[in-house]
Amino acid sequence: MALELLSVEQDGQWVIRAKGEVDLYASPDLRAAILKAVSDPRGGVAVDLSQVEYMDSSGVATLVEGLKSAGQRKVSFSLLAPSQAVMKVLQLSRLDSVFDIRESL
Amino acid sequence: MRDEIHVETVSDPRLLGCIRSLVRAYAAGLGFAEERVRDIVLAVDEACANAIRHSYGGRNDGAVTIVLKSSEEWMELELTDAGAPAPPERIVRRELERPTPETARPGGLGVQLMYEVFDEVRFTPGAVRGNHVIMRLRRPERKDT
Repeated sequence: MALELLSVEQDGQWVIRAKGEVDLYASPDLRAAILKAVSDPRGGVAVDLSQVEYMDSSGVATLVEGLKSAGQRKVSFSLLAPSQAVMKVLQLSRLDSVFDIRESL
Repeated sequence: MRDEIHVETVSDPRLLGCIRSLVRAYAAGLGFAEERVRDIVLAVDEACANAIRHSYGGRNDGAVTIVLKSSEEWMELELTDAGAPAPPERIVRRELERPTPETARPGGLGVQLMYEVFDEVRFTPGAVRGNHVIMRLRRPERKDT
C-alpha cells in the first residue's frame, strides 16, 4: 500500500496524518510534509503514525530530521499513537526515547 | 538448500513493496512468528534500499539479484548488486547507542537493522564493483506434538 498524507490544523498545531507504508520510495513525501509544517509550525507539529503499517530506516531518518529541524526552530514536535510497526523500528533503532510520543494530541 | 527463489530485479524504489510481499510470504511459510516475519521483511528491505541508495547512488536501473533459500534449520537471503562496493566502515556492526534529541542523527541505520534481525550477516564487497551480502536466520523449532 502506498503512503497517503494529510496535513490538518488541529487545536492550534499541524497534524500530519500518515497512512500506509513509509519506505525509501515514500519517505521523501513524508519529509516534504514534515519540513513544510515545521517551516510554518503554528503551535507545533505532530505526526500521526497510527495508520502506518510499515516503516523502514528512511522513515526513521525522516522523523529524526523533522525532530532536529523543529528543535532548531524551537518548535514542538511529537509522534501521535505510533503503530506497532513504527514502534518496533524505533526500538530496533534505539530511537524510541528520543521522540515525544503521545497517545493523542 | 532447497525451496529456492531467485529474483532478478532493478534498483527501483517503486519495486520495494513487491519484494517485501514476497519475503513476507516466504518467511511466514517457514513458520516464523508474525513479529519475526515483520523484522525479516524490514531487514531485507534495508538491504535492498542500501543497494539502491549507496551501491547505485539512487540510479533506478541497476541489476539486483535476490535469492531466498531455506534448509531444515536455516533461512538464508542473498543479495547481489553490481554497483559501487560498500566502504568497510559502512558495513561494520556498531553498538547502537541511545542518543538524545541533540545527538540523534538521521542515516546509517539500515545496515545495523540487518545485524539486529539476522543471526549472521556477511558482507562481501567486490574489489572493483558489486556487493554481495548473505543473511541467515535460524528457523523456529518445529513442534511435533
